[in-house]
Amino acid sequence: MEKKNLLILFILIGMTQVSAFLGVFNLGVVNYLTWLVMGLAAVKFFLVAFVFMELRKAHFFWKFATVLIGLLVVVVVGFWA
Amino acid sequence: MEIKAQNIDHKDIFYPPGGILLWIIIILELITFGLGIGGLVYYGKLEPELFHQSRIQLNTSIGTLNTLILLVSGYFMANTVLKLKSGAIESAKKYLVWTMLGGLLFVGLKSYEYVEKLTGDLYMGDNMFFTFYWLMTGFHLAHVLVGLVILVFSWWQIKTRPRSLQVTDLESGAAFWHMCDLIWLLLFPSLYLIF
Repeated sequence: MEKKNLLILFILIGMTQVSAFLGVFNLGVVNYLTWLVMGLAAVKFFLVAFVFMELRKAHFFWKFATVLIGLLVVVVVGFWA
Repeated sequence: MEIKAQNIDHKDIFYPPGGILLWIIIILELITFGLGIGGLVYYGKLEPELFHQSRIQLNTSIGTLNTLILLVSGYFMANTVLKLKSGAIESAKKYLVWTMLGGLLFVGLKSYEYVEKLTGDLYMGDNMFFTFYWLMTGFHLAHVLVGLVILVFSWWQIKTRPRSLQVTDLESGAAFWHMCDLIWLLLFPSLYLIF
């Protein structure tokens, strides 16, 4: 389990580095990069929630509520920004 | 030395890991910050050039570093709970200390960033972007500080009264700490990268 957590941490760090690199570009102009950055944020959000917070062990309601809010924020930013 | 383990079925809707009260708080906090981010992108659409010029005045390196610090701290927190559940109290204490150090580092770096902004005359009332920046990062920082207080209390309890400690107590503190991660993971790209 500790090894799994460490692997997830490395994946999270890698995705953060990619997001930071993409931030060099003017994302407000290049819309698909905005989606990419927010998509990475969503994956990181779900990994922390399901692995570190152990949301995977919880009732479907809590999984659904968390995923719904995370996706809503990502979609709102992706469409509007 | 043993800690009190409870056989809880987390699949029961009333017993999510960390407790139902904390999860109600987590969902409400995510909605609140989500609405804030919604407001940010709405006003960003009205004044795209102003938001872009303001955004590039933020220090993306510090934002990235703070993200990494919170993620590593979250990893230590997850391991703290794992170790405590397996009865390895000394390891749990060690991981908890590293978690708190991560939190302190985040607060220190955020304070440095705030000083940088204040000395650069970038205040809350300057424009709508900085209003959102100060309010949302400020509220997030307040949550991190509350999380740190909870962690210090948990650490003190493990250190002085391990027999009275229940895993669910620490799980609640861990869930709050991870909530700070979740909020920041949405705030960071919205404030530092998108506009």
